[in-house]
Amino acid sequence: MQQKQFVSLCENWLKNPRSPLSKKLLPAIEQYRLKTGEKLPVIWVETSDSGDNNISFLNTSAPDAGRVFRKIIDLLYSNTFMAAQGPDAIRLLQYAARQYQGQFTLVVEGAIPIKDNGVYNIIFKTRDHSYTALEMVKWLGSLAKYVVALGTCASFGGPTAARPNITESKGVRDILDREVINVSGCPINPDWFVGTLAHLLMFGRPELDDLGRPTLFYGFTVHRHCQRRSYFDRQEFAQELGDKECMFSLGCMGPRTGADCPYRQWVEGANWPVRANTPCIGCTNKDFPDGSTPFFTPLPEKNPEQNQNLSGPKKEVSR
Amino acid sequence: MTERVTFSPITRLSGLLSAEATVENGRIIDANTSSTMFRGYEWIMCNRKITDAVYLTQRVCGICSLAHGAVSSYLLDQVFDNDISENAQYLRNIMYAADFLQNHIRHFYLFSLPDFVVMPNKPPFLNQNLTDARLNAQDNQRLVNNYFEAIKASQKSHEILVLFGGKAPHQHSFVHGGVAVAPTADKINRALALLSDITEFVRGCMIPDTELISSVYGDYYKIGITPGRLLSFGLFRFGNKNEEVIWRSGVLNENKLSIPDLSLIHEDITHSWYEVNRDITSQPCLEPAPFKPGAYSWIKSVKYAHNFFEVGPLARMVINGFYRGSTSTMDRIYARTLETSLIVQLMKDWLTQLIPGPPPIEQKSKIVRERVIAVTDAMRGTLLHSAILENEQIKEYNIITPTVWNFSPKDQYGNRGPVESALIGTEIPSNDMLFTILGRIIRSFDPCLACATHVLDANHKKSVVF
Repeated sequence: MQQKQFVSLCENWLKNPRSPLSKKLLPAIEQYRLKTGEKLPVIWVETSDSGDNNISFLNTSAPDAGRVFRKIIDLLYSNTFMAAQGPDAIRLLQYAARQYQGQFTLVVEGAIPIKDNGVYNIIFKTRDHSYTALEMVKWLGSLAKYVVALGTCASFGGPTAARPNITESKGVRDILDREVINVSGCPINPDWFVGTLAHLLMFGRPELDDLGRPTLFYGFTVHRHCQRRSYFDRQEFAQELGDKECMFSLGCMGPRTGADCPYRQWVEGANWPVRANTPCIGCTNKDFPDGSTPFFTPLPEKNPEQNQNLSGPKKEVSR
Repeated sequence: MTERVTFSPITRLSGLLSAEATVENGRIIDANTSSTMFRGYEWIMCNRKITDAVYLTQRVCGICSLAHGAVSSYLLDQVFDNDISENAQYLRNIMYAADFLQNHIRHFYLFSLPDFVVMPNKPPFLNQNLTDARLNAQDNQRLVNNYFEAIKASQKSHEILVLFGGKAPHQHSFVHGGVAVAPTADKINRALALLSDITEFVRGCMIPDTELISSVYGDYYKIGITPGRLLSFGLFRFGNKNEEVIWRSGVLNENKLSIPDLSLIHEDITHSWYEVNRDITSQPCLEPAPFKPGAYSWIKSVKYAHNFFEVGPLARMVINGFYRGSTSTMDRIYARTLETSLIVQLMKDWLTQLIPGPPPIEQKSKIVRERVIAVTDAMRGTLLHSAILENEQIKEYNIITPTVWNFSPKDQYGNRGPVESALIGTEIPSNDMLFTILGRIIRSFDPCLACATHVLDANHKKSVVF
């Protein structure tokens, strides 16, 4: 029996969670994969966003992006990074989707406009057809082993779907009838994305929260782990940007934003928004940016209806 | 023999771009470049608080995010009549310079290099099909290695930005009134160390690699030439009212240099997917029209004094007298690297000018102007933001990005924008070289289509100046 056949046979077994053999086999197989140096085949489609997530991905440090390409993923299609162009790129996509059907991870970077059959985002065109993000993501989503929505636009619509959303853009999970792993953030912290890819490669599907995000990164609120929590508890609030106190008074979304920014920070732990004396703007949230604007207005007053249970400080919202 | 070809997707750039070209007897006789993504940012910006503009407009673009944050801060500084302290001026420009280094290093190595260098036949470089590879094996390998080193150098550039800005892309501290982060000895020291590594990379790799490519592919000094009209709004703003620039602005037309007059900027939607809604019950306004006959791009045509203008590092370097040359593919690539080497030096000077102290920010709260316009140059060229306010709310917010200038579709008279002009007349020695040649010319403009689809002119005026 070929290695690949064996692995896929085991995987089919594993889909039955009650199988006692599965529980023993899964870690063993993943360990085997780790040792064999197998990589995660990835097809990365860019749809409607600012491209900030691929730039942020390049800021990953250990492993750096070059090492991610060499050791962790086989990036078969990516509008930003692939050397191929034009029809060569299209041929590569067709080959990859066929060759790695049921095995590849689909990364979608950006929201999906659905108005007018998605004509507001054309991934590429041939002489006789314009391929919309809508049809491409549906097609590739049906063939992929995992689907990862990269960034808040891909996860929930994000800035692309901000009001009045004239292109009727949606997050990937709203157009696919399957599980989508949401790695939200505007942009994502590269660790959240590379960490998710590594988890898929080494240990399979990560544990997800009720918004489909890996709890490893999004399980606690920014507020819970914020370095300025002691100021909040003493009700010492910043008067203006640049102050050292709690940023709740200047619109901080930390109390209802799941993300590990206070611990992880950005680019070699150099800094993060609250440490930079500015509020967290809740960029990982399902309702970003509309639920966060006006950015510098205190949370209870931003969107009174939605935030009515946040009548004031000292109230912990989620874990 | 005439053949119509579709070049899509044009990879290794920011956003989504396609082109169609007509090749007749081995020469390109017609070309349309087509931006195929529309987000409707003009609608998103309306009816929000003006102080949201810095963080929201940064989300127009991932690779030049801070450029939008910077010009939007300049705009808000006018709205509130802020005074910018000297420390804040230096910090702002250090952060801006860091994002420039990030952009230029990434563009040259990750986007442009695979047009000239044979990459390893492994993902993400499969099907490269470089039909005109000229480097010897040793040089080729060195440049491949530098591709991976460039990833580290550009990451360090963003580390400097994060150090002072909180995160990147979409930094937090460079806002109206100054910068919310204190320049302290530890940060200055860390930034200087990072800059020293970046400088070593720029001098040790990027400059010699550019020299090598420009000599081996020297014929590209004659390929992809634009009509030579160059425009810059100036770069690196100083002064307590942001009134001074380190690199001057200018309009260069037929060898005559003048100061840009913003009232001479006009837009045209003849070949763009927009139409004017003439509903008599409301003001005339633009609406997306994806099925409009004859249209082929989400980018509008933008002109200065009835002419198309090329923008970008080449325009800045020529207008400031740092570079003399033509307006070809290789001139653009060379000027970008030249600019990178000038910026590392400027940044070092600025870092040593910082005086440790509290966060240099003072935001006034009373709105003194409701019609404002701010300009700068971004990585790819001229960037303009303008806004009309009413009760602290945005009524209208317009953005004209550099890629709109360079990738303008044809105007109503059939005149071509800079990129389309650069493509016309190009000789295609053999069919299999077509995409290689087109790719080299197009990427030398460092296109960013994420930005370009957000030309905001909801009320479709003849002039963009209110």
